[in-house]
Amino acid sequence: MIVLPTRTRGGRISLLVTALAATSALTLAACGSSGTSASGGSSKPSGSANSGTIVWWASPITTTTPDPRTVLINAFEKVHPNIHVRLQSAPNNTDTNRASLVTTISGGSASPDVFMGDVIWPAEFGAHQLAVPLSKYLKSSYWSTFAPGLVTGATYKGQIYGAPFFEDQGFLYYRKDLLRKEHLSVPKTWEQLESDAVMLKNKGLVKYGYVWQGASYEGLTCNFMEYLGSAGGSVLNSGLTKATVDSPAGQKALNFMRSLVTSGASPSAVTTFQEPQAMSAFATGQAAFLRNWDYGYSYANTASSPSKVVGKVGVAPLPGFPGQPYPGTSNIGGWNLYINPHSKNVAADLTFIKWMTGAAAQTILATKFSEIPTVQSVRSSEAVVRVNPVLATVPHTRLIPRPAQTPQYPKVSQAIFQNVNSVLAGSSSPTSALSTASNSINSAVSGSGL
Amino acid sequence: MTTGTTTTGVARPAPPRPRRDDAFRRQLARLGWGFTAPSLILIGAVTIFPILFSVIMSLSNVNVTGSGFKLSGVTGSNYSILIHSDQWRYALTFTVVYTVITVAIEVVLGTLIALVLERLTVGRGWMMALLLIPWSMITVINATLWGYIYNPTYGVLDDILSHLGLGTPVVLGTPLPAIIALMVADIWKTTPFVAIIVLAGLVMLPQDLYEAAEVDGANGWRTFWRITFPLLRPTIALAVLFRVLQAFGLFDLPFVLTNGGPGHSTTSLAILGYNTMFANFDFGPGAAVATSTAVLVLIGCLVFLRVFRAQVGKEA
Repeated sequence: MIVLPTRTRGGRISLLVTALAATSALTLAACGSSGTSASGGSSKPSGSANSGTIVWWASPITTTTPDPRTVLINAFEKVHPNIHVRLQSAPNNTDTNRASLVTTISGGSASPDVFMGDVIWPAEFGAHQLAVPLSKYLKSSYWSTFAPGLVTGATYKGQIYGAPFFEDQGFLYYRKDLLRKEHLSVPKTWEQLESDAVMLKNKGLVKYGYVWQGASYEGLTCNFMEYLGSAGGSVLNSGLTKATVDSPAGQKALNFMRSLVTSGASPSAVTTFQEPQAMSAFATGQAAFLRNWDYGYSYANTASSPSKVVGKVGVAPLPGFPGQPYPGTSNIGGWNLYINPHSKNVAADLTFIKWMTGAAAQTILATKFSEIPTVQSVRSSEAVVRVNPVLATVPHTRLIPRPAQTPQYPKVSQAIFQNVNSVLAGSSSPTSALSTASNSINSAVSGSGL
Repeated sequence: MTTGTTTTGVARPAPPRPRRDDAFRRQLARLGWGFTAPSLILIGAVTIFPILFSVIMSLSNVNVTGSGFKLSGVTGSNYSILIHSDQWRYALTFTVVYTVITVAIEVVLGTLIALVLERLTVGRGWMMALLLIPWSMITVINATLWGYIYNPTYGVLDDILSHLGLGTPVVLGTPLPAIIALMVADIWKTTPFVAIIVLAGLVMLPQDLYEAAEVDGANGWRTFWRITFPLLRPTIALAVLFRVLQAFGLFDLPFVLTNGGPGHSTTSLAILGYNTMFANFDFGPGAAVATSTAVLVLIGCLVFLRVFRAQVGKEA
């Protein structure tokens, strides 16, 4: 059962109302408290099982038809006819998705068996025993098939909790036609990008120069990490015990992000942009440059998206700061597959996960749906790289993870995106925002504070 | 008003009731309890239990695990975290200010609308139906629609403002405009509710008082402040109570429109509680947010009722 904190409007008469108020506020607290403990993960799989029904919880991967989830399930069931997979569609919003899973799993539900979860979840889910440590069952020969860094990202305290399903990262999308017209090359530095964006906008070729994700939410943390990484900074020390974000690199990153807004390179509306707003500004031809994930390329090149810039879009690694290596850093996103500790059929779950992270499924994801495969051999195969220029760009990018190795990551991220968003909106200075963020991060990793 | 069943009591002292009647009443009462027991048990299970559980959670160290909540010890640390948290203090201030301003505007507007509606002779039913549309719509949908209006790239508000030469402010991306935008959406939705409640009170006011006032030569302004408003007080009090309770639980509008931003400027207590519990998995402090919110709104309402009842009492 999915327990979400629903709020009710309307009520009864007179003093009873007061009692009701208490209830509505408090039910929020009690959501998901219907805890019946189950014997978590006690079933010992005997390698691989080949029968049973499992429920796969996954949010939509793309908006295209056919649905990649159904395509993959059908292909899996052809190979494993005795295992039936039922798809349970999860909320699109990552935070709502996570909240639903937490209440479901902590409430003891055996369904879903396998869930597709964000790459930033392993520490939090591992620390709260909301996912099965997969490394207990899958040997290192399995884990070594993945591209470097992905398994490390899915590890918490020596255990691997998620099997990398598909990867994602930030890219720079640009309008080839406009750059050609103005004899511009693809920007290699952030400053170049900024001045090109201002120029194209001032010439009236586009309404906005450069669009990205600046709203107060997780996506802004991803964007900030890219500027911070390009400037050579970090959020936490290597022991994950102390904030290191209040640094010259942090200043540089934040000053630059604010200058994008003040110089007019980015619209001030960027402070409310999530992926859909940025994507649609670019796809409708209103913007010259876009920072977005892997799907940006196919979205912009599909007329029915709707896109007005089909065939005019190029992709490149993100720029860097002068004096720092090119390219700049791209933030790692993407999704892993996890197992619910209450699942009654862990063996079938493992069979499913192994297949989904195998060459067949990964090739489908890469060639049919242009997702970045996690398996190294698929990622570097000719057939895959030929399909999509984004995949050809992948080997040239420099990756930076979010500091999600701490179970307190959600608080760390909130401290980042709330304060960065304040700077973008002009309501606080980079200096004070960095010091506030740093204090909040320190109290988060030390386990105190809200 | 007093159209009760015991008309005899007025004329002469009531005779001692026969014991048969007494026994019958008791039997009826038992039967009544019997009939209501299932629903009382249900309410107990879905209302009383969660309340108690939340209070207990707010006073314990809570660890959420794959096999449910682990509560340990009795502690006040969850509340001490709140009191020392800038975020909580901000959310409290924001929620209180938001509640006071929106409810005040809604009551004034709602009363004005009700006064107009009461005088309408033709089409009152239609007007009421029209007014109820915003109220009857689900808030999340309302919020999404307002999101289109406030949208900084293609929103209609942006378009109007830029045509008026007021530039293109990013309404939901700047703290004060974002707060005002939420208030406007809230007032739009709930003013009709206040209007309907006040209208119900208005139509029940005794007509003879107005006739007397007219005979005495009182003008409309005077009649309103001397007769209508004092008599409407209990009704308005009820409307205010309903609205305060809802406004204090502000969640859906910021959840859809701003996610508590920009920065944390529209983070209400409910948003803070939700994030604390379901994003950070901090169920102890989260329960403390919920419990303290409930206690605060409870105290606020009790004080409000007391004050209002005292005033109503004096006039009666």
